[in-house]
Amino acid sequence: MKAPTPGMLAVGLLGVTVFTLMMVGPPGSYTPLPEPQSTGPTPSSISVNGFTMTSDTVDLPIDEQQYPDGPHADVINANCTSCHSASMAMTQPVLSADQWKATVTKMKDVYKAPVADKDIPAIVDYLTAMSAAQDGAPTGKAQDTAPGTAPDASGGTG
Amino acid sequence: MDRLDAELAAETSRRRFLQNAALGGAAIAAAPALAQGITQGLTDLHLPGGNAQRPMTSAFPGKGSMILQRVHPPLLETPMDVFDRDVFTPNDQFFVRWHWADIPTSIDVDAFRLTIRGHVNKPIAISLEQLMRLPRVEMAAVNQCSGNSRGLFQPRVPGAQWGNGAMGNAKWLGVRLRDVLDLAGVKAGAVQVRFGALDQPVVAGAPDFEKALDIDHARDGEVMIAFGMNGTQLPLLNGFPIRLIVPGWYSTYWVKMLNDIEVLPGPDDEYWMAKAYKIPATPGANVKPGAKDFPTVPINRMIPRSWVTSLGEGQRIAHEASIPLGGIAMGGDCGVARVDVSTDGGRHWFATKLGPDHGKYSFRRWDAQVPLPGPGKTSLMSRCWNTAGVAQPMAPIWNPGGFMRGNIETTTIVTA
Repeated sequence: MKAPTPGMLAVGLLGVTVFTLMMVGPPGSYTPLPEPQSTGPTPSSISVNGFTMTSDTVDLPIDEQQYPDGPHADVINANCTSCHSASMAMTQPVLSADQWKATVTKMKDVYKAPVADKDIPAIVDYLTAMSAAQDGAPTGKAQDTAPGTAPDASGGTG
Repeated sequence: MDRLDAELAAETSRRRFLQNAALGGAAIAAAPALAQGITQGLTDLHLPGGNAQRPMTSAFPGKGSMILQRVHPPLLETPMDVFDRDVFTPNDQFFVRWHWADIPTSIDVDAFRLTIRGHVNKPIAISLEQLMRLPRVEMAAVNQCSGNSRGLFQPRVPGAQWGNGAMGNAKWLGVRLRDVLDLAGVKAGAVQVRFGALDQPVVAGAPDFEKALDIDHARDGEVMIAFGMNGTQLPLLNGFPIRLIVPGWYSTYWVKMLNDIEVLPGPDDEYWMAKAYKIPATPGANVKPGAKDFPTVPINRMIPRSWVTSLGEGQRIAHEASIPLGGIAMGGDCGVARVDVSTDGGRHWFATKLGPDHGKYSFRRWDAQVPLPGPGKTSLMSRCWNTAGVAQPMAPIWNPGGFMRGNIETTTIVTA
């Protein structure tokens, strides 16, 4: 599978933007895709010993949600919406700059996100500022995130 | 390229275009933090320290009302009231968790093949029809995310910020993994079996999601390949057409859209076994908050848990001398032996009556009539003992991955 390089993305950006806006409407709106199965034949199925399995085609919602406005929002929107929704970052608890840096670095080094090294400080700054602006942050109380805890100390996910 | 591959490739390129298209809109306008058009209202997961509001959504295929953690790739959580209705979680409200965004959206049951290869006598690829002709087994089993309840960790840890709803219980219908392995013939010296699936990373070079089990575990007769879930085929988002069922173990091993089984002559040293989903090799997977340097092992067997489900966090009810209280429990890697409940923050405990036993890996209903202190704020707790004698501890654990929470949970209500 070929990775979209930042260069490729940049080339496609302008034309695709116009098309996207026409297609999806205002930000945050949701337009269902055409139903692929509506024009096709009846889905095939298999029945064995009283159990039937039928071919399935679905449409997954497309997330048009962008990161909220703020310094470097353009950088994070350009780098961090292709592989996952913005909500993945926006639902995190309050994290320190070091923790966000560890997360962004992991996305690039482990999960091979096509993020340029020069963009990493801006992304980390954006996330740290967004995090600090959350309700309840900073509290200095027991619910604070553990200081200096790298998110991948146990490999993460789940 | 066979027909299925062609279809998948077409789907993938279509979705990739749409992803890039969405990316193109980036610089134009900022939008609220959570998707609007596909959601209805907010729910509060009551996570310590805040940022606990999540939208509800019914926009996902095969899914009813779910808590939206992430659209892309989907993370959908089951609302707690669903667990109060039945010990079996309906397919359309069963939680959803995908690692990579390249998820096939079309599966042809005729074209689908499951390959069994590697350290075997005869590598084969079998159709769903061949699979469905093997001897069948049905088992009730809880499927729980390794990071279920991560959002409740204190101090908080990064990762998917689940409440308690990254779990579900279903009747799984399928065939024994052992029988499928025997079709290919496992060679002497096999050590592990690795499971791969149709979903793929969106970028080149990223680690494909694969998990492995020891050969003896894989051949224990309990590990299944399921094609049925609560009497029907699986929703695509829960792994249609087939997924691995690893009773008593965390969901990370329950590989969805399973299409590749590779018998290995040594341990799997790839990313998802060697680096991710690792827990501290300490009792209860517990370390001091902030700890980093500790030996780790792959997450494995589940532990006992229980929840009050008949009343929700923050609920207000009329004060009475006593009230009915109900909920669910799971034994983890064995059955539920006993559940006690407290209405005064753990000072006094009362026995509950266990509901029907659907098997040791299933949720088990519990009910009791309990006295209420108060009126005022009341802390409800439940405590499960499993059949191995392991009881839920009062104190929460901590680890940086936010894995394996299992302490006694508290539901705070107000009576007046």
